[in-house]
Amino acid sequence: MAILGIESSAHTLGVGVSEGGRILANEKMMYKIEDKGVIPAKAADLHAENARIAVEAALGKAGLSIRDIAGVGYTKGPGMGPCLRVGQLIARTISVDNSIPITQVNHAVGHIEVARHLSRAKDPLVIYVSGGNSQILGLVDAPFRHYHVFGETLDIGIGNMLDGFARAAKLNPAWGSSVARLAKGGRYIDMPYTVKGMDFTFTGLLTHATNALRSNPHRDVAYSLQETSFAMLCEAAERALMLTGKNTILVCGGVAQSERLRQMVSTMAISHSVRSFVAPDEYNADNGAMIALVAEKMLDHGMECALADCDINQRYRVDSAEIRW
Amino acid sequence: MPLAGILVAEGAESKLYYADFLGIPAIVKDRVQKDYRVEELDREIRTVRTKKEARILATASENGLNVPRVLLVEDHRLVMSRLPGITLLELMRMNDVAKETFSKAGRLLQGLHALNIAHGDYTPINIIVDVHGEVWAIDFGLADFTNSVEDKAIDLILMKRSLDHDQFAEFMKGYSGKSKASSVVAERAKEIEKRGRYQVRTLA
Repeated sequence: MAILGIESSAHTLGVGVSEGGRILANEKMMYKIEDKGVIPAKAADLHAENARIAVEAALGKAGLSIRDIAGVGYTKGPGMGPCLRVGQLIARTISVDNSIPITQVNHAVGHIEVARHLSRAKDPLVIYVSGGNSQILGLVDAPFRHYHVFGETLDIGIGNMLDGFARAAKLNPAWGSSVARLAKGGRYIDMPYTVKGMDFTFTGLLTHATNALRSNPHRDVAYSLQETSFAMLCEAAERALMLTGKNTILVCGGVAQSERLRQMVSTMAISHSVRSFVAPDEYNADNGAMIALVAEKMLDHGMECALADCDINQRYRVDSAEIRW
Repeated sequence: MPLAGILVAEGAESKLYYADFLGIPAIVKDRVQKDYRVEELDREIRTVRTKKEARILATASENGLNVPRVLLVEDHRLVMSRLPGITLLELMRMNDVAKETFSKAGRLLQGLHALNIAHGDYTPINIIVDVHGEVWAIDFGLADFTNSVEDKAIDLILMKRSLDHDQFAEFMKGYSGKSKASSVVAERAKEIEKRGRYQVRTLA
């Protein structure tokens, strides 16, 4: 039986369908980001307006009717409150209308698990990089099975850092793609590099880069910012790799779409004779399929949520979500 | 300068070699090149960290603390005196640790903190116990000159996670003594442990 997944943590409303671990549909509708970034209330309104269209599109793509759906999952968090609430409401409605079980999924677990599923890696070291998140993780069995955070940003996510810089350089922000284009052919100038054990910070780097725009070619600043921040991630991941002895590295999340980051992680992985795998872009951007996939595993493992207990959590930490499979 | 040596360990950022330096048993720490980062950044990181580590070791040595002596610093290579002994971790695995060893490890950390040096990775694997039962600190790769109470408290928390209750109590006897500064750091360590993040992030 098929499971429906609803993702609405930020500017994307995603609806996916998964059946027996196969992804049958992955439909998206997006709030257009302008120079001010995402306005949560406006994005939430748009998601609500698009809800029916998106669900029907996903069912149509999967060639199913709502009666073929055996369960529904939605993103509980982390994300923007108003947006999350809309996804929760869509899922609740579908659950009640069709008398099917409902479950709540951690957004980061969605990105990681879809990548792990596609790579068939059993126990990878994960580099999860998106707007609000930047973490180095791996599965740990105690005190319950979960993605343990070996290292993470101590301030802002790398995506938000790149977007912040893009705005300062008067570029269109989108997971660093415009920064990457500007960086082509740049020369390296000194930037603050902060790795503490397996943790790292980005605000100092962002401030420095923004100020450097005044007295340096923009191309050089973009290049150096990108090289420095990605090198920090790679070094933290490398330490975690040595500590854990894992044999696969997974890169996922919005910033995993960056060519240069992929190349650096791959070089690092090869130097330690481990495999590296990057999720396809369709699943690095926010999407409903990853939520459907995880919801299916959760429902298979008895992790149904009572309707009264369904809620949202803007700061839902990945390491508090149980992974029973 | 090519230094003949036997590779004995490989960390995330460096290789360690046993070598003979002018007749002195030495250990060479070579921060290796990382192909994933641009050359300018790579060179900067390796030389700056090597110099800093050497400065920290020299400061600790000059003040009579048990750390390896710096014999030579060369770009990304650090040559230090080699300490005879085994790590506290190995000793703990053999169940053969004198109580005073833990308090000596505590006193050594207090000495470092008094010089405003936070070790950054003060765990039993980075403590050497010699044949006389003396305790030495090694691997200052993550160490920093800092007067931050928070950084120093992290040293205590890392050690606490590696020891059992009685062992850590002994350690703290050595660390605290009658020092006012030590009790401030110990208080901060308790405070940090109460913060959510460190409860969630158990040691893997």
